[in-house]
Amino acid sequence: MNRSLLFAFVAIPWCASSAESTVSGFLDQHCIDCHDPDVKKGGLDLTALTFDRLDDSTAEIWQDVFRRVRDGEMPPKKKSQPEGAERSHFLGVLKEPLLKFDAEEIASKGRVRSRRLTRTEYEHTLHDLLGIDIPLRTRLPEDQVSHGFETVADGQQLSHHQLARYLDVADLALSEAFNRALKGDQPFEKFVNPKALSKSKGGNYRGPELRNGESISWPIGVQFFGRMTETSVPEDGWYRITLKGVHGINPGTDGAVWGTLRSGECYSNAPLLFLIGLVEATAKPRDLVYEAWIEKGHMLELKPNDGTINTAPTGANGGNVSFEGRDLAKQGFEGIAHKGIELKRIHPNADQVQVRKRLFGDKNPEALKLEDLDELVMRFATQAFRRPVSAEQCEPYQQIAHHGVDEGHAPAEALRTAYRAVLCSPRFLSFIEMPGPLDDHAIASRLSYALWVSMPDEDLIQLAREKQLHDPKLLAQQVERLLKDKKADRFVKSFTDQWLKLNQIDFTTPDARQFRRFDPIVQQSMLEETRAYFAELIRGDLSVSHFVDSDFAFINGRLAKHYAGENPMEGKGADLKKDRRNKSEAPPGKNPVVFDLTPGKGLQKVPLKPEAKRGGLVTQGAILKVTADGTSTSPVVRGVFINERILGNHIPPPPPGIPAIEPDIRGATSIRDQLDKHRNNESCASCHQTIDPPGFALENYDPVGIWRSAYGQQGKGVRVDPAGVTPDGGAFRDLSDWKQIYVQHPQKLARGFARQFLTYATGAPPRFSDEAALDEIGNTTTNLRSILCQVILSDSFRTK
Amino acid sequence: MSSFTFKKHLSRRALLRGAGITLGLPLLEAMTPAFASVKQTENAKRFVGISLALGLHNPNLVPQGTGRDYKPSRYLAGIQDLREHFTVVSGSSHPGVTGGHTAEGSIFSACPNSRGSTSRNTISLDQLMAKHLGHETRFQSLVLNTNTQTSPSYTENGAMIPAENSAMKLFTRLFVNDTAAEQERQAELIRSGRSVMDVVGVEAKSLQRELGAGDRDKLDAWFTSVRELEQRLAANEEWTHRPKPKVGLKPPTEIPRDNEVAVEGIFLDIVHLALATDSTRFITLHVTGNNVQGIEGVDESYHTLSHHGMDDEKLAQLALVEQGVINEWAGFLRKLKTDKLLDETMVLLTSNLGNASAHDNKNMPVLFAGGGFKHGQHLAFDQKDNYPLPNLYLSALQKLGLEQEQFATSSGTMSGLA
Repeated sequence: MNRSLLFAFVAIPWCASSAESTVSGFLDQHCIDCHDPDVKKGGLDLTALTFDRLDDSTAEIWQDVFRRVRDGEMPPKKKSQPEGAERSHFLGVLKEPLLKFDAEEIASKGRVRSRRLTRTEYEHTLHDLLGIDIPLRTRLPEDQVSHGFETVADGQQLSHHQLARYLDVADLALSEAFNRALKGDQPFEKFVNPKALSKSKGGNYRGPELRNGESISWPIGVQFFGRMTETSVPEDGWYRITLKGVHGINPGTDGAVWGTLRSGECYSNAPLLFLIGLVEATAKPRDLVYEAWIEKGHMLELKPNDGTINTAPTGANGGNVSFEGRDLAKQGFEGIAHKGIELKRIHPNADQVQVRKRLFGDKNPEALKLEDLDELVMRFATQAFRRPVSAEQCEPYQQIAHHGVDEGHAPAEALRTAYRAVLCSPRFLSFIEMPGPLDDHAIASRLSYALWVSMPDEDLIQLAREKQLHDPKLLAQQVERLLKDKKADRFVKSFTDQWLKLNQIDFTTPDARQFRRFDPIVQQSMLEETRAYFAELIRGDLSVSHFVDSDFAFINGRLAKHYAGENPMEGKGADLKKDRRNKSEAPPGKNPVVFDLTPGKGLQKVPLKPEAKRGGLVTQGAILKVTADGTSTSPVVRGVFINERILGNHIPPPPPGIPAIEPDIRGATSIRDQLDKHRNNESCASCHQTIDPPGFALENYDPVGIWRSAYGQQGKGVRVDPAGVTPDGGAFRDLSDWKQIYVQHPQKLARGFARQFLTYATGAPPRFSDEAALDEIGNTTTNLRSILCQVILSDSFRTK
Repeated sequence: MSSFTFKKHLSRRALLRGAGITLGLPLLEAMTPAFASVKQTENAKRFVGISLALGLHNPNLVPQGTGRDYKPSRYLAGIQDLREHFTVVSGSSHPGVTGGHTAEGSIFSACPNSRGSTSRNTISLDQLMAKHLGHETRFQSLVLNTNTQTSPSYTENGAMIPAENSAMKLFTRLFVNDTAAEQERQAELIRSGRSVMDVVGVEAKSLQRELGAGDRDKLDAWFTSVRELEQRLAANEEWTHRPKPKVGLKPPTEIPRDNEVAVEGIFLDIVHLALATDSTRFITLHVTGNNVQGIEGVDESYHTLSHHGMDDEKLAQLALVEQGVINEWAGFLRKLKTDKLLDETMVLLTSNLGNASAHDNKNMPVLFAGGGFKHGQHLAFDQKDNYPLPNLYLSALQKLGLEQEQFATSSGTMSGLA
């Protein structure tokens, strides 16, 4: 390879020696003072770096040199700068061999290494392939994240432990499918009336109140309050849960009482509760329907769970709850009332007939002949491998089925073992792509996993068979079709989970004393807000400038209350429980409600007024929360996030030996003062001038995304100073100034987003030679759906 | 076969006989050491690495004074009965390991990372030990986590080993015999698993012809994994029909999910028995649970407390949790001591975080016990310019009799530890 490169080098028009002299001349004049064997600043010794024979590691260093000189980072601002023409000549000369090297590498090995399905992709694929609906994801080891995404091949390592899990999970999935196909589904349906809901099976009573034929749940703080023993389910499974005639008692100014419906064991040492959905109980009664996976023996728990409302006393001693002799409605507490709960076992993906069909086609599983087995194994392997399978490739799998029959197993049983082998094959578990342009089947798979997080459907496979996916026009049509499909919701979730780290929303729990109004409803609403917003940007093909600012948002009543309030951070160190009861003394939201919402509609698209102090991804609660640690915010953490995920700037890791900043939540010193000390160091400053500005601009938002004007208790600490200067010298007084600077440069945002999506969708970050394509995309379009489409149509996506 | 309890103080030999360990073992490829470079000397035989996801507050941990005359710190004051059995190390960490929480993967591998994102991990200490010496027991190693499935245990090609996070399942795997029918079902699953692996191996081979040079590494990982799984399945098939050791401990029925310290204790009780019955010799336990509100005097989550921001109330609650963690560790040591296992078992307690509040990976907390080392001292290194902790790992490897010259970024064996 090196030899061919050397050849390539010599073969380019300007001869190697003149290229070398240009490069070495520039380096001698501008770089070598610091990057020689003695000083070796940043660990870089340019004299030791070969230019005539590139390999992976030297090419990477040269690419870094190229980028830093191009971006004006090097030479440092304080040193004498090369003339514009000199700089561009140097870059031009340096670029050619680097591009050449990259092209050679891609031609022989491909840009992407063979990547495996992530566990999320695995689950969706088996659900689509077999028609089952049981959770599989959590039974596989967590995927490692590389370059921000789980799909990136570099981060995926295989071991026999992982392979053993694949064996087990394939067996589990096939057991479920074969059982359903051969034995049928057990129906289960149950209506639990309010009287039955207030029954208790031993232990303390923590159920709802029964009053006037209704079941009422109140905001009572004891653990598991709101549990309903009679709703325990008999088997693991998906259930449709209908709350009949739900209405709110004493709804607040937003016209609803907000609660959570969850499932769990709900006893003693099992605090784990699984959120099924949010309950928005309006004055007007209505039925609310939910679908959720519930584990065997788990019951439902329903209660008002809004952190801003008053909690009611338990009315009894010793962990019991009693409603005897009091009328909580009259006392003004908010409650959620309903007329009973309907529970029905469902199979959201496919019914028994369909599952049977997916396993046995039109054959009768009771009377399978050997030829039938061969045919079925071939059919299954073709679907699972997502491409045509030759007779030779299929034979070992068919042999397994034959062997099973020889050993005296029932044919269906033998078939199952063969299917198990198919599901453990590298042809199923990984992407099979040859170097060079992808064939139609590989394009179908990449496309489908990118936008559906699962295998291609019959239409895509058909187009691949007809070799039509090579046609850009047709491919673009397919992008549109896939994005319109319901399965694109999986993309929205999976991509935002990783790109915006939404899957880390639970990583920290906000400090209960500082942020007492934060609750599970707020957290869930934040996630829904960001997903809905991203989906809307795709649907409407809106500009990427919406990442930094917008005049609309997706808000529900609870989130509106959360966003409207300035967090008073009161009661630090005081008795938590007592404080909880007295929340009404310091009502949230000094501002009147600034969002126009209709009660009962859940998440709604609303226009934003300037006084809302919201707009764009960057001010959404979920982003502000995942970039904070539950106690304090750091402009560095937020700054790195905004730079890398939103603005398209790469931030190198901190050099070794730098002490971390010790957060101090007492409010005596501001984080800015601490950081300034850090930035006085010249070598820190070069990166922090890029990192910190967006972080500073966002300092007005606390760790749970509430607006604040000062740090510390009751906002009595140091005032927040959101001013700063962008690396290009743009001064801003606050976030709205900062937004204006970036709204005007959507090309850069578009390029950054294309980079993220290309990494996610292909399983490898862009290489040096992809930069031009990314530039091209940023210059062609700045609208979101168009960017997705352009990335998919790019050579980078359609080549291994 | 008689069951035993620790109250009867049976000899270790009797324990093992009672445990069914003295039965002759079949000679299988999977059970022969990967390298025959083990010196036969009086060595440590076991290693237990306990790692904390959230660090330990250094001011409460690091003692005043150095060497043998150190003054116990707040956290160590209550475990001075064990003073001669452990060493406390300060001022050490893994060179080139940064990234706060993301450095978890390097706790036992000491693999330098770049903010935890791109580099591929290297083999962890426990797995390197198990690779050479883990073949004589039912389990080559145990990889455990009190809460999630992540672990700091990595295979040679840098794949994370998913952790067992259910104490109930762990107990069952170790000590509960399956019914004859279940054993048969397991054996059948293993047999069919082996034939599945045969086909997967064939497929990987045929893919070698189809895929490009760039995917060679990926295919190699398939070959290795298939081969190793085949070996494991073969060994498991043998073990399936062997009775498991009986123990006096009742299987855990309820896990106090609101008290991470108690969960750690439950796991360590089982770990103790796993060692005592010689079910395995190499174990990691990653302590990651976030719920500690079940501890008297604590009303916030562990993670929130670790971000104390120097707040007094938070520090006070954090100290309650961390003291509990250390006391559980000490309780475990006492059990090993009673069973006369401590001198041949190395027990490490550490964390990737030296300062969780600042996400700093320097100055890792290190308590190292047992294994036949001379303990009873505080090895104090430079808090500003840390000593390489991989040196301790190299010392541990050599104490097992492995002729290892280096581990990760080690610069030698640990100075001051003999």
